[in-house]
Amino acid sequence: MPKSSKLSILATVSAVCLGLALSLSAGSAEAASKCIKGDRKAPFTLGWANIYSVPTWMKQTQGTIEQEVDELKKQGLVSKLVVTDAQGNANTQIQQIQSMIDSNIDAILVDAGSATALNRVIADACAKGIAVINFDSLIDGEDLTAKIDTDQQEWGKQAAEWMVSTLGGKGNIIVLNGPAGISVSDDRRKGAEPVLKAHPDIKILAETNTAYNVAPAQEAVTNLLFNNPQIDGVLSFGGALSAGALLAMDRQGRDFVPITGENYRQFLELWKQHDLKGWATMQPNWLGALAAYAAVQALSGKDVPAFVKVPLPVIDNASLGGYLDRASTFPADGYIYSTYDQALFEKLLAQK
Amino acid sequence: MSIEAAGDRSLYWRVQLGRNHGARGLFAVVVLFLLLYAYLFPGLLTVEGFSKFSQTWFPLALTAMAQALLMLTGGISLAIGATVSLGAVIAAVTMTQTFGVAGGIAAVLATGLAVGALSGFVVVRLRLPAIIVTLASSFIIGGAALLVLPRPGGAIPPWFSTLLAGDTPVALGLLALIVLAWKLYLATPLGLTIYAAGENPVGAFRSGAPLDAARISAFAISGALSTLAGLFIAAQTGSGDPVIGQAFTLNSIAAAVLGGVGFLGGQGSMRGALAGSLLLAVMINVMFFLGLPPVAQYIAQGLIIVGAVALPHLAGRWRSA
Repeated sequence: MPKSSKLSILATVSAVCLGLALSLSAGSAEAASKCIKGDRKAPFTLGWANIYSVPTWMKQTQGTIEQEVDELKKQGLVSKLVVTDAQGNANTQIQQIQSMIDSNIDAILVDAGSATALNRVIADACAKGIAVINFDSLIDGEDLTAKIDTDQQEWGKQAAEWMVSTLGGKGNIIVLNGPAGISVSDDRRKGAEPVLKAHPDIKILAETNTAYNVAPAQEAVTNLLFNNPQIDGVLSFGGALSAGALLAMDRQGRDFVPITGENYRQFLELWKQHDLKGWATMQPNWLGALAAYAAVQALSGKDVPAFVKVPLPVIDNASLGGYLDRASTFPADGYIYSTYDQALFEKLLAQK
Repeated sequence: MSIEAAGDRSLYWRVQLGRNHGARGLFAVVVLFLLLYAYLFPGLLTVEGFSKFSQTWFPLALTAMAQALLMLTGGISLAIGATVSLGAVIAAVTMTQTFGVAGGIAAVLATGLAVGALSGFVVVRLRLPAIIVTLASSFIIGGAALLVLPRPGGAIPPWFSTLLAGDTPVALGLLALIVLAWKLYLATPLGLTIYAAGENPVGAFRSGAPLDAARISAFAISGALSTLAGLFIAAQTGSGDPVIGQAFTLNSIAAAVLGGVGFLGGQGSMRGALAGSLLLAVMINVMFFLGLPPVAQYIAQGLIIVGAVALPHLAGRWRSA
């Protein structure tokens, strides 16, 4: 056999072997979570790319992350948590995530300041084998390990349905939204739309967009009250907005009407104090802790679903007391969230 | 070369060096921070690392120029952020549609010039304070951005994103071209009038300088630089967001003031504003690699800004004492 043909056989054999090896590794990569290459070993360094650390909701969220990280440190799975604060600026958040990539961090937890702005930098992180877990405010892209969230449209739908049935399908309402151009706020409103359309006797007198803060909401609702003598319900898509609305009504001596909202402590206390008809759900702060847990699971080779849908816990007049019993362990301007542990996280990550 | 020309040339350099005078301390601080960053993150010295960093700086550099240009004429703009957002959403809705990339760039550029010129016209011709006019226009422009794209979305062709914000320093090259264009513009009658309009408007008017035209042009160019920053952000992120520019209003003012550009006009230089924006950008990365927690970052950021502004003043006082 001439030397050249021997070489070509050798080349063919090695090519086949290489192909087999590649297809095998591709097979095992499919079993693991997205972005994970299996080259990172515990203990891991986690990065928490926060859009804005000042709001109380974010401080509480960071608290659940830190608590979970402490737990994971004890288990020898995490060595360090790096925290950044983009101060509300999506461009700064891009820059900080880039720095996390540059420092070759193992996982990035991210609450996105913009639904679209982070797509490319997060895809870059994913390509480098970094576990990226996006929770609460989501990005539109798919190049990350997992997204964790409640269903914001479902939130809007349930709130609107409760309002419609409480008012018996007829009445004048005002609608309080979060800031314009923010996808969370937009999605909650969108979820309510078909329900409101189906009930034309529910008339929307006015609609506002304000930041998720008590003061601007109170101011906006005060104006709406002056202009609308007859209001039968307040469809609010944020807890601080609901608290602001109740304060505005109280200040003007108006009768309280059925109101929706969120697990914001001040709202729940006003709800109890004035014995209202109310409905609230929540974006649990422990989504942050769940994100940290999911990142470590993915890095350890477990299969984490691309989308982890967290059910919306509902607070109504029956369960309100239970939440308020625990109120003192939460900040006065904070959110009273439902309890959580790693067993709950296991269950949520196991869902398909 | 005639004697006059040689004299002109030495005068030119004297003026240039004089303009650097106030910013020397800042330049030193910026270089120090860049060296520190390169020490903490050696990857900065690779083409990819350097490109990525220059891309995070680029939009702030453009908006700092946009703001500094107006401040030099004695104006100011509170609409820079909204204009950046408008540029981003226009790019994101036009480029993958019928307009194509070239058409999209033209649309973004035309919008920036028009929006800026319109504000400039109201300020200059109706003699209204720039701060009020641009505050009002920030609401109008921000609203327009939300009309164009009510929620984040749209798209930029991936090849265009990769071209501008991939692993090559294209953005830095563009910045060099824009700075060169600024140099050339300064040599035109309109450009020459910019400093005069801020420093001594009455004198400039009496000597027949095209004061109104120069100021309206400054607003128009400033608008175009802002929408171009938005275009770049859209390319960098692959899509548009109607509120992405918000933070640029304050940051552009901070960068310009940090760079020695005065609120009263006629004082400071574009290179100072660029250095100021570079400091703001590099500071964030340095603090990350130093591992400072967020609360410490807030404090450190404030101290660095105050320090960078105070250093040249203190140095000047020591020299004169």
